[in-house]
Amino acid sequence: MSSIKMFEKPLGMRDTFPDIYEKLELIRSTGRQLLHTRGYEFIKTPSVEYYDTVGKASAISDARLFKLVDSQGNTLVLRPDMTTPIARVATSKLLKEKIPQRLAYFANVFRAQQREGGRPAEFDQMGIELIGDNSVFADAEVIMTAIDLVKGFNITDFKVTIGHAGVLSRILKDYTESEEQALHLNDLLVQRNFVGFEEAVLAFDLPKTKSDALLAYIEEAIRLPSIEAIEKYVRKNDALEYMRSLAKILDAAGYDEYIAFDFTLSSHMSYYTGMLFEVFASGSGFPLGNGGRYDGLLQQFGSQVGATGFGLRVDRVFEAMPKIEIVTDSVLVLFASERFSEALQTVKLLREQGKQVTFQSYEGIENIEALKAHYKIVNEFKSREA
Amino acid sequence: MTELTIAMPKGRIFEEAYEMLLEAGFNLPEEVEMSRKLMIEIPEEKISFILAKPMDVPVYVEHGVADIGIAGKDVLLEQRRTVHELLDLKISECYIASAGLPNTTMSEIAPRIATKYPNIALKYYKGIGEQVEIIELNGSIELAPMIGLADRIVDIVSTGRTLKENGLVEYEHIAEVSSRLIANPVSYRMKSDRIQDLVTRLKKCVK
Repeated sequence: MSSIKMFEKPLGMRDTFPDIYEKLELIRSTGRQLLHTRGYEFIKTPSVEYYDTVGKASAISDARLFKLVDSQGNTLVLRPDMTTPIARVATSKLLKEKIPQRLAYFANVFRAQQREGGRPAEFDQMGIELIGDNSVFADAEVIMTAIDLVKGFNITDFKVTIGHAGVLSRILKDYTESEEQALHLNDLLVQRNFVGFEEAVLAFDLPKTKSDALLAYIEEAIRLPSIEAIEKYVRKNDALEYMRSLAKILDAAGYDEYIAFDFTLSSHMSYYTGMLFEVFASGSGFPLGNGGRYDGLLQQFGSQVGATGFGLRVDRVFEAMPKIEIVTDSVLVLFASERFSEALQTVKLLREQGKQVTFQSYEGIENIEALKAHYKIVNEFKSREA
Repeated sequence: MTELTIAMPKGRIFEEAYEMLLEAGFNLPEEVEMSRKLMIEIPEEKISFILAKPMDVPVYVEHGVADIGIAGKDVLLEQRRTVHELLDLKISECYIASAGLPNTTMSEIAPRIATKYPNIALKYYKGIGEQVEIIELNGSIELAPMIGLADRIVDIVSTGRTLKENGLVEYEHIAEVSSRLIANPVSYRMKSDRIQDLVTRLKKCVK
């Protein structure tokens, strides 16, 4: 076995260097400001959770969890998402104090990967959870907040596609002959395998009216139609009614230009029970984030209240947003030892003016010119003897 | 019109797919010079082609540096990348099968399977309840059973000639393969008009 070199990091882990750190900090503060003014309260949860509580309930597959064992032999996981820990805290404590809860987070999450670059195993996520409100207005608020947040990062070319787990499952159930067939078709839609969907429908040997309807539905639904266009495929359905009122609210609020309805949208996350959505932007090859209503997750924690929310991946937001230029007036004050107090006075003054000041003695460095090259302004307190 | 980047596999599939695009009415030069160029730009249609190894097409598409691509179903099954599979172009049709020396059974202890497709092979044998060990090779897979490296091979078969010439017979049919049009999930949304237009036009040319 080869030994580990000192510059190596575990697969998928990244270092954040100072210039990137400043930019991420800007993203964080922009986002925090925006969510804070909407009454979302920021929350922090532990990085490590029990596998039996958070690990199992999480939507992230088992193989992608980082697992550890504590001294009592319990299996622990590094949190793979923030929704599950927040659902745990909310159901066990917060909901007893106030309902509904509007919670926000900016946190690193961990998902193991063994493949290749471009997929960090640890990354920051920013998002909100609105817990304890079952109304369509809660879902609208979450979508509008996601859109405002994306706009707040100066991303202009983006789209939010919204679907509904209930509408899709109704259609799949109505036009197939068994539960397995519907599940199989749903799996293919999760993978967005439209070729496979067509093949499967034909292979099921369904009555012609059913298979024709399914194929026509897929053909039409992937073109992002209006809600009216897919009405003919669904019998009177509460979920569709719900989506119509959601669309009306988003229209009235002036968000219609950013949204599209996609009734083939499906998630591998079984706890998404209602509306679900994904955020895409040009500039990143991967979705910026996703969200939806996840009443099913809270039920796993023994609570009957509804919950909805979204999370954005900060690394992808960073890719999609315009380049951030951070201009700082960095000042270097160099001093000879006997002029320490005099130099310190100047430094204090400059810092009070809000300048970023580095205070460095000549004694501590060898290559003075090389250090000076890193700063815009250099203020020197040289030894008087020289 | 937005720019569209298409990842294409080099070689025969490129030619067949290019023919289909011409047939679908895209304004492309009749002949493309397939020298050593890796990118071809068609300014009239705002399309650029990336020429990649067949195995690499889904990589470019998944990372979004190509909006769409043409990839074999074998590669898609093997790599399971997050891309949308939009259309079966029904070109370069073949299938994946297992093969071995005639009239042989697999070894009782840990039978060995040589293949270029370790994931497909493992999934198939798991599915039928066979416990096998996979040996990954990069080419000339037919050698493996002949010289006793493996009991079976899992590979693509188009005419069956290579198998026959090396004295092997086909045992199990595993999956159908043909070239598929795939799309990056973000491009699929952000450039949906262009991609839908392409799908509709190509669909008419599928034979």
